[in-house]
Amino acid sequence: MAGDWQELGQTAAIGLIFAFLVAKLISTVIAFKEHNLRITRSPPASPTAASSSPPRPDTPAPPQPSRGDDVSSDSDWEGVESTELDEEFSAASAFVAASAASGTSVPEEAQLRLYGLYKIATEGPCTAPQPSALKLKARAKWNAWHKLGAMPTEEAMQEYITIVHELFPNWDAGSSMKRKDEDSMASASGSKGPMGPVFSSLMYEEDEGNESELGDIHVLAREGATDDILKHLAAGEDVNVRDTEGRTPLHWAVDRGHLSAVEVLAKANADLNAKDNEGQTALHYAVVCEREDIAELLVKHHADLQIKDEDGNTARELCPSSWSFMNQAN
Amino acid sequence: MAAPNSNDAANAGASGTAPAGEEDTSIEALARRVQEHMTLANNPAARRHKFWETQPVGQFRDAADTSLPDGAIEPPTPLSEVRADPYPLPAAFEWLTCDLDDDALLADLYSLLAHNYVEDDENMFRFNYSPAFLRWALKPPSFFRAWHIGVRAKESKKLVAFISGVPARIRARDDVVRMAEINFLCVHKKLRSKRLAPVLIREVTRRVHQENIWQAAYTAGVVLPTPITTCRYWHRSLNPKKLIDVGFSRLGPRMTMSRTVRLYKLPDAPLTPGFRRMELRDVAAVTRLLRAYLAKFVVAPDFDEVDVEHWLLPQEDVVDSYLVESPETHEVTDFCSFYTLPSSVLNNATYATLKAAYSYYNVSTKTPLQQLMNDALIVAKQKNYDVFNALDVMENESFLKELKFGPGDGQLHYYLYNYRIRNGIKPSELGLVLL
Repeated sequence: MAGDWQELGQTAAIGLIFAFLVAKLISTVIAFKEHNLRITRSPPASPTAASSSPPRPDTPAPPQPSRGDDVSSDSDWEGVESTELDEEFSAASAFVAASAASGTSVPEEAQLRLYGLYKIATEGPCTAPQPSALKLKARAKWNAWHKLGAMPTEEAMQEYITIVHELFPNWDAGSSMKRKDEDSMASASGSKGPMGPVFSSLMYEEDEGNESELGDIHVLAREGATDDILKHLAAGEDVNVRDTEGRTPLHWAVDRGHLSAVEVLAKANADLNAKDNEGQTALHYAVVCEREDIAELLVKHHADLQIKDEDGNTARELCPSSWSFMNQAN
Repeated sequence: MAAPNSNDAANAGASGTAPAGEEDTSIEALARRVQEHMTLANNPAARRHKFWETQPVGQFRDAADTSLPDGAIEPPTPLSEVRADPYPLPAAFEWLTCDLDDDALLADLYSLLAHNYVEDDENMFRFNYSPAFLRWALKPPSFFRAWHIGVRAKESKKLVAFISGVPARIRARDDVVRMAEINFLCVHKKLRSKRLAPVLIREVTRRVHQENIWQAAYTAGVVLPTPITTCRYWHRSLNPKKLIDVGFSRLGPRMTMSRTVRLYKLPDAPLTPGFRRMELRDVAAVTRLLRAYLAKFVVAPDFDEVDVEHWLLPQEDVVDSYLVESPETHEVTDFCSFYTLPSSVLNNATYATLKAAYSYYNVSTKTPLQQLMNDALIVAKQKNYDVFNALDVMENESFLKELKFGPGDGQLHYYLYNYRIRNGIKPSELGLVLL
């Protein structure tokens, strides 16, 4: 039956090309309904909308819920945009075609149902003559299509999408990937356009071939897991324990900007002036990482502003001049 | 040109008339092709490119054919045979030749691009070319207004798509060719399924042909038939904390922010004596430096003084150029430049914009290139850029690692239209930077 499934996939793939035309037709139909509704529901926004001339196939349009940060009003989209249902259906059928091509097996009953829905969505009710009873496969497919009768196109698309969701719950998880793989010329729907520049960001994380080893409490401080830090301290762990770079949990909490964890560690009598292997205190970290609220908290707890790191800099020398609390203290 | 749309129509007709379940060999053949396309999606070289296979571009199937000569793939057609009318658009749209001197229209173009142009794969950033940049990029010497092509909705008059070309003289080996640089192809997000991109490309091609120009240069993030070379972006953090906070870079679990910040720290002022901003009086000297340098590369622009004045004379937040003037002889010996392309940071509470400098053209004759670029980093940092980006084109590889650039996830493919360069070239043989 796998061959049959593959064949079905092929048919679906061919029909995809056709789906665009159908999608346009559907949006016109929906648009027509919406157009009429809008006229009765709300005062017309413009003379065009007020005119009760019969809608031309290309002008009336469904107001769509605005997504993203687009500032335009929905009426700008009269007759021009494709509906989300079209796009989702088109993506779902592309997925089915691709998985059929790669030999994924699907129960025969579902295959036939999808086939019928696909034909309704893309071609409408079945008008083809019934194939001979000897052609079992062809007859079964014809039956699947024919028995759906005059099911509306949107309903067929919706059910198709639902079935694909049931069969492959994660089918659209990588949809941005799939879109990029479509013929990039025909479709500009991926984040990368068919031509033009590319947005690139750093491939690797910052770690400088770092081999440092952290204890559990350093990791908790890094993640700002205040409650768990308290549990470790209650269990008797040293609040000033060092990692292989000489950093205390306080260094890590400051580095990642966890104000409440810093507060907890300070209250647990952490050594505010502990230096890492490069001579930097938690206050140096706060200054270098521009964490003003944390620096202020450390100063309030009487962290020493005069300690020099290996480069001979005090935290006060490194800090932005706008941090007045660094100058008043001491 | 064979229009893909007519193919679509033929395909649609075939599948529409076939009785359900009939075994039709032509449909089967078509299905097989479509299926090949689907299964080979991850193998770019084997993918089908319905549109590009009809175009005079290097085809993948010809890759092994060494008998094909370098140069134009197709001869020019007589101008009288260039299609006179714009290609048809879907009924709700109309063409609009854009006048970028019109501030209102420039604002519309800016807004179209700012909301709909290139994003990263995770949709965290989107290019935000400034209006001043767009004017600079689209109005070089002898530009053609007809090549600033908009599509707007007939009813609302809203600008919904755009493509542009600008004229350039580009040298490929010994051959200086008049070309169009094609860029800023953008279709509104709500219209992505309308297949507007192919018609925009055909239309700009037609208008370029009308000026008796038959070649073009363009870039893409996707593999099309056939790149002349594939470059990688590299990034040098200038403001590492912000880059980490917005997700442009990430902090390893054993790495501290504190150390990262210190790692990328730069001196407060450029180190090379005589390093200064380029001025109008430097145009002749810079042109000489640049022409001599670009001659080293297989594909590079052929800049004259008029071009240099446009493309390299500094404009605030558009393009910055610096040079080294020898304190003794007052000779201009070295030159570096970068352009400004910010990106919108999408969905971040603290930051709205990422300010990026992109390495443009750099020439070193006396100052080592690495030292020159270090000074470029220093001035970029002084001017509050967050990151300095560079492609591995020209001699850039010689300084990327040393100056703490890290590799990016973005690959940029360079293409020539109707011009074959057999076997392609290496990024280091490319002397062309497209915006």
